Amino acid sequence: MNTLTARAGTSVSNLTRARMPMVATTVLLIVTVTAAATLQGNFFTPYGMTANFATILPIATVAVAQTIIVLSGGIDLSIGTIVTLSSVVTVRLMDGGDPSQVPLALAAGLATGAACGLFNGLLVAVLRLQPIVATFATSFVFGGVALLVLSSPGGTVPAVLTGGYRQVFAYLVPVPALLLLVLWLAWRLLRAQRIGQYLYAVGGNAGASYASAVPVTWVRVFAYTAGGTVAALAGVALLANSGSGDPFIGNELTLGSIAALVIGGTRLRGGAGGAGGSILGAIILTLIQNLVFFAGVPTNARELVNGAIIIIAIALAGLLTARSERAGRSEGRTA
Amino acid sequence: MSSRPRWHDFSALAAGALLIGATACSTPDSGGGDGADGAAEGPFTIGLSNGFIGSEWREQMLATLEEAVGEYQAQDIVDELVVESADVDVNGQIQQIRNLINSGVDAIIVNPNSPTALDQVFAEADDQGILVLAIDQAVTSESVTNVVIDQGEWAAANAQWLADEVGEGGTIIAVNGIDGHPANEARWAGATEVFDSAGVEVVANDFAQWDQATGQQVTQNLLASHPDVDGIFVQDGMALGAFQALESEGKVGDVAITGEARVGFMKRWAEQREEDAEYSSIGVPNPPAGSVSALHVAVRMLQGQEFTSDALDGNTLYLPIPETVTDDNFDEQFGAVEGEPDTYAVDGSLTPEEADAYFQ
Repeated sequence: MNTLTARAGTSVSNLTRARMPMVATTVLLIVTVTAAATLQGNFFTPYGMTANFATILPIATVAVAQTIIVLSGGIDLSIGTIVTLSSVVTVRLMDGGDPSQVPLALAAGLATGAACGLFNGLLVAVLRLQPIVATFATSFVFGGVALLVLSSPGGTVPAVLTGGYRQVFAYLVPVPALLLLVLWLAWRLLRAQRIGQYLYAVGGNAGASYASAVPVTWVRVFAYTAGGTVAALAGVALLANSGSGDPFIGNELTLGSIAALVIGGTRLRGGAGGAGGSILGAIILTLIQNLVFFAGVPTNARELVNGAIIIIAIALAGLLTARSERAGRSEGRTA
Repeated sequence: MSSRPRWHDFSALAAGALLIGATACSTPDSGGGDGADGAAEGPFTIGLSNGFIGSEWREQMLATLEEAVGEYQAQDIVDELVVESADVDVNGQIQQIRNLINSGVDAIIVNPNSPTALDQVFAEADDQGILVLAIDQAVTSESVTNVVIDQGEWAAANAQWLADEVGEGGTIIAVNGIDGHPANEARWAGATEVFDSAGVEVVANDFAQWDQATGQQVTQNLLASHPDVDGIFVQDGMALGAFQALESEGKVGDVAITGEARVGFMKRWAEQREEDAEYSSIGVPNPPAGSVSALHVAVRMLQGQEFTSDALDGNTLYLPIPETVTDDNFDEQFGAVEGEPDTYAVDGSLTPEEADAYFQ
């Protein structure tokens, strides 16, 4: 806990309430995993686990990227197109299947994501544009550049990536699940740094943070840049998942990332929540989509049922978040 | 920062892990269909993955398939059709196909959103012993048998009619689908080949996303900048729009236009024929019931039948294109579909007997 929230954090009753979103998320996770394991006959098989985690990793990674930005009080509607742009840059550079190209291509993809994030950060923090409008506009810029880089679907991802992505350790631990764990540990590392504290402080109360000598502008620029970089990682995951480039591949992930972080208990106004919850939120979101299929809901009704269940999930997480906020207004939580 | 352990974070993960751990050893069966090892008895479960909805063409593709599955169900050859159909991007379709794999189907018929980006998940299906057939659009994966019409041949038939109409030295404008879309590229390659050899000049080429309203707009713009053209090459799904643009310019009889084998366009064509007996157009069908042809092929492959040596071109089975709607057979063709909605496409599929001919 930082200095702003130290007092609130010591109260036992607040402590209990502060965990409510996490409780909601955990309950949802247990329910969806149990239902999925019941309805999907091969859930706990090497292929069943690989298939699910391979689907979950990209959306979970974008959700983490969005979480970093939302925690700082911003939002990034261009994040899906950042995923797309960095993935097409990567696939263009690694096309041809030469494994020696892979490190350079990955570095270029990450640099692209970071540059896009930095651009957003400067617009929002330095030029003071409204995040929703500014990133909505840059989504067209990034999406447009992606079309220039790769005008039609194509390009081959080296087998070292696509094959590695589908490996399974110890019978039931697929590589995407391990990567998800690494992502979460990296978040915990960031969270423990001073900059991690600043994210919560700026998102919770920018004015008070400024008064407390927190470099607010710099923290916001950092949040967007870090978010862009993590989004580029999601682009790599998508490439490994599909094995080919596509100039629209990540665009639809934006709204999914926001839904996942809300289910995970992150407050959309910033300052409360965390990437751990968002990862669980992404798992829940993906499993819900699968459940609707495995439950045998008729095709034309699936979207409706899927949407209704997601609303319930968000409402559950949201109600509990709101309750804990009333209890401890300025408290920053971590997850 | 305090040293309070954030045990609640870990408790969430631990709860999930415990749950996973507790049930891990109870269901170690591997997934996939039971038709994995060559010839099988059946009944077979067929999966369908469709990544684009809200188009009548796709509805027709689904409806005809469901009907054909019903016939196989009556013979106990197929027990179920599992449908995954929604507006999804490539990621969503990968998830669709994984769901079909995990539900234990024996074969997957897929209308792919991408010619390349589903290859890895097709390989996953192959590894699980599941047959995959692509319809409407061919994919590059070697794990897949494409059952499609030759889009180049489709476009060439249209282009040949137009080239005959405008004659050598004639000029045309083109209204194509989506720039870079594989089906669009294959069609345009087939059409330009015909135009080049016939000495027809393409003075402008634009894209209208296979959408009637956009097609009308794009045609209007092209006509404004090229008022003296002799003909319009327009792909299906946009021909009615292009025709309306021509109509608002008052040039219907003067500028030749490729039509489409859909009821909406054919109605206008019929009206035009009544006004002007000389009016000519063409409609080359792009049959939605390719799904049915693929079903016939899938069932025979699941039964362990082998293709004849000349059935496939690489991993693609090219279907015959149903009879073209021409000035000569218009009355008969239109009469057969007149009662259908405007968006209905003239259709046709392999019969089971015709499908048998592709196998030894």
